[in-house]
Amino acid sequence: MSYLDIPRLVFTGGFQADVSTVNNDVRYFDNATFQKKYQDISTTGDDGGWNPVGTGIFRFDGCRITGARLGNQHIVSAAQDPIIGMALENADDRVFGKLVDLDPQQQMVSQIWGMQLRLDGGGEKALFRGDFVPVAFMNLWRRQQTGVSMDQQLGAVYQSVLRNVVWQSAANSKVLDALRAASAQGLLAINFNLYGYARDPAIGRYTLGLVAGVIGPYLPNEPKHFVIGRQMVAATGPNPTAPSNGIYSFQCKVHEDRKILSADFGNCLPIVNGEGGFVDNGQLTMAVLKTDTDTVLSTVPVDQVAILGNLDYLKSGWYAQTAGIQEFDYSADAWIAANIASRPLLLLKQQADNSYKVLVQESLGGLYVRSDSMVCRLEPDKTGAIDLYASRYGKRLQGAIAFSDTQGAMGGSGAGSDPLTPPVAIPDIAIPADAISYPAQLPCDPQGKATLKFTVDLGKNPNPRGYIDGQLYGIAYQLTTQPAQSIGSFWNFISVLAFSPFVAPKSPTWYADIQPIVTQYGNLYPIMSKHLVDLGDYDSVVRHLKILRLAFSLPIEDPNHMPVTRDLSDARRAMILRWIDSPGADGLPLKGTPVALAVRMPAQAAPEPIPLHLDPLQTRGKTEVILQYEARINAKEHP
Amino acid sequence: MIRLDRKVVEAVQAAAVREDLYPWLQNAIELEHSTIPPYLTAMFSLKPGTNDEIARLIRSIVQEEMLHMTIAGNILIAIGGRPKINVPGFIPKYPGPLPMAIGGSTFKVGIEAFSQPLVHDIFMEIEKPEHPIPVKTLTAEAVPDFATIGEFYAALMAKITHFGDSIFTISPAEQVLNWFDAARLFPITSATSANKGIQIIVDEGEGTRTDPFQSPGDPAHYYKFGEIFFGRKIVKTADGFAYGGDPIRFDPAGVYPMKANPKIADFAPGTQARSRMEQFSCAYSSLLNALHTAFNGQPANIDVAIGLMYELKMIAVSLMQTPIGDGSKMTAGPSFEYIGALADAIA
Repeated sequence: MSYLDIPRLVFTGGFQADVSTVNNDVRYFDNATFQKKYQDISTTGDDGGWNPVGTGIFRFDGCRITGARLGNQHIVSAAQDPIIGMALENADDRVFGKLVDLDPQQQMVSQIWGMQLRLDGGGEKALFRGDFVPVAFMNLWRRQQTGVSMDQQLGAVYQSVLRNVVWQSAANSKVLDALRAASAQGLLAINFNLYGYARDPAIGRYTLGLVAGVIGPYLPNEPKHFVIGRQMVAATGPNPTAPSNGIYSFQCKVHEDRKILSADFGNCLPIVNGEGGFVDNGQLTMAVLKTDTDTVLSTVPVDQVAILGNLDYLKSGWYAQTAGIQEFDYSADAWIAANIASRPLLLLKQQADNSYKVLVQESLGGLYVRSDSMVCRLEPDKTGAIDLYASRYGKRLQGAIAFSDTQGAMGGSGAGSDPLTPPVAIPDIAIPADAISYPAQLPCDPQGKATLKFTVDLGKNPNPRGYIDGQLYGIAYQLTTQPAQSIGSFWNFISVLAFSPFVAPKSPTWYADIQPIVTQYGNLYPIMSKHLVDLGDYDSVVRHLKILRLAFSLPIEDPNHMPVTRDLSDARRAMILRWIDSPGADGLPLKGTPVALAVRMPAQAAPEPIPLHLDPLQTRGKTEVILQYEARINAKEHP
Repeated sequence: MIRLDRKVVEAVQAAAVREDLYPWLQNAIELEHSTIPPYLTAMFSLKPGTNDEIARLIRSIVQEEMLHMTIAGNILIAIGGRPKINVPGFIPKYPGPLPMAIGGSTFKVGIEAFSQPLVHDIFMEIEKPEHPIPVKTLTAEAVPDFATIGEFYAALMAKITHFGDSIFTISPAEQVLNWFDAARLFPITSATSANKGIQIIVDEGEGTRTDPFQSPGDPAHYYKFGEIFFGRKIVKTADGFAYGGDPIRFDPAGVYPMKANPKIADFAPGTQARSRMEQFSCAYSSLLNALHTAFNGQPANIDVAIGLMYELKMIAVSLMQTPIGDGSKMTAGPSFEYIGALADAIA
């Protein structure tokens, strides 16, 4: 069961991502060269970027239930079911969720932490509430291909599970009753598409964007963050956010019992502007190829496909009522019913010459493998473990998975292309290369599942990146049997942030041990350092010891966990707590004596950022990261 | 502020059983809370790096109001009552009168950025002791012919003494006892401990009858606001007290130009100001919900509430840097509207 099953609720509305932009350039992590002006707002791509005072808060903003699917019934009005019009809200008894980058050199797996969602039926208690299992976005792409050149163009999807779900009955809603019955106790599946994000401080929608998503049933033996289904993989050029045919990757699921294909077009169709609304690409068609193939097709003759149906994307209200999920009933087509389980799906556009242009094709041979989670924060003495699932045409496959090093769009300065004065070396990532260990291959079990275990040993040089803790590694995976022409999804790899090994002194002091760590947070999060606690200042810190003690001791899932960025190793966090708990004769934590600021150079410097001539609104965000990546690839291929 | 409806004091005096005290302790909780939003707003409106001493003074007052609210809540819990914190009426309507018509029905308190008149005309009025001690540059007013907050708390103490220890039947395990030092926040288990708590409320708010300092170096609220207004620390002089100590400088440029008494409904949906104001009020409502839980059987939940208080400040200062979008230099601000499930569904 998944969000592509029934019943499901559709919600649409807005979101706020009030991210801080000071931490978008790795060079700002160097305390020795940090300058106060890096905390100033700037719309020209320098200094603190476009939202230096961001709080990190991620929240839904004005989301309502705008559709539902119950059996074959499409529910769009409160007269059909009272759930229509109800509000999907944030937690109402704790802080908002937070949007958190893994690292300045890996900003492409931003996770939502500590978010609770609740369905508000107007009564005293939520009809249900549940905790969003943290997950990174997937399938980031340039969903808006014309108009303003800014992050507003990008769209992405978050797929996860709500856990600790508590239900309140008495809603008199058949949809809710059916959803509760279909889902495992305490769990629900959730998937939502984000788009139209505005980062121009001059406009009203600044830090706000639009969301369309669904909540459906979930069963515990399924992956949490993708559907074992039919994966449609779009080809791209050197810019992974620009699909060659203008339409992006998406996933589908065949429901053989109902003879239905459900396809999620929620994040793959281009929009005209930041307010949404689809680009009219004419009639688009889902079909099944009549033969299997090991090659990527550009066109197919009309007689080589069996048609599932045309997309409803241009119908008024379609997106709000469905979040882009369309069901194709093939019960009347005996050939499809007999063959859909073994032939590839295609998204097509009819051409004049009696053929179809293939816009997006299913993974070759129907073969697909994905890690459920994409992100791992790895403590030095721990073994990372991530589940992967293999499938063929949506059926679990007892295949073998091969693993290899990759870097994706990791590395570089992050989102900062201009030289700094004084210059700051950009740390190279994934070095030493032999510090990470993982098996070359793993067999899947009969359920198509394998668990990858990996370790990182930075013992030889605990701080390869110098002024920033830990090191980044990427692990790519593919099925050993995948056809040579297979297009891998750019986003499908595991990002590992391995924390530096660290042994704390017995009696840590402010100057020697604590200040170097917490000053970095004070520099990078001015909303906190200017208004709550100045973490670089001993007196300010000791005035707030009790709250700091609480926040630094909360588990990583807790919405009040500190640091919000979740990039402080257990050992360093424990040292801060021990420092707080071990006062000196004056009753305050040990201050020690001032020490010279250590110069902490990266072991190996990466090349300086390639100069990009960007529109101010392209800077300091995902767009700049992607354009830097593209420039690096182009420079490598055309030196 | 000294005036309140005499009927309140008479009602406390007429209490026949402990349950008769519940509504009045609930009122005490609401009263102590009611000044927090205006004080907090004034404090949030001060830009960091300027006016820090003023912000520190207001912060100390707000923290004591929170302590007083907690003490009143614990007394209510200790005698079997249930504090009600997450109900729409818990937050006063700003601008509007304070609970129990403190100061009379014409005395209105609003949500405004810091200003000297706000401190003098509103905050000092709220905190004016039953028996103000003459401080040089201040004119002592005649004690008016009204019941007073002092009398209200005195009546509560007398009634608690009268009922005796037998009304304290609920275990201190249900009380919120964290985040303040044990000398000021302690388990309420007897008439003595309850009255000691109430005396702290009175002393910190008003000072003693003979000394504006509730403790050495720490003036009561009225005199702290006096320090801010007159721009100097209060000191003891040969013939009494004077605002003649170290200067407390106020830089008018160091205040965010927040629109007074903003309301969510003043701003169009989809605007920056509207979204962030809703965000603040949602977070404030979450705080009241978390406090309600803490004061109703889960005192450990006070940690969650503390986390919310810190986040609220970040949201508030973001708000105060958000232009209201009418072409003026004015910025949005917190409106402290309770966002309940029902209210939201109707909207």
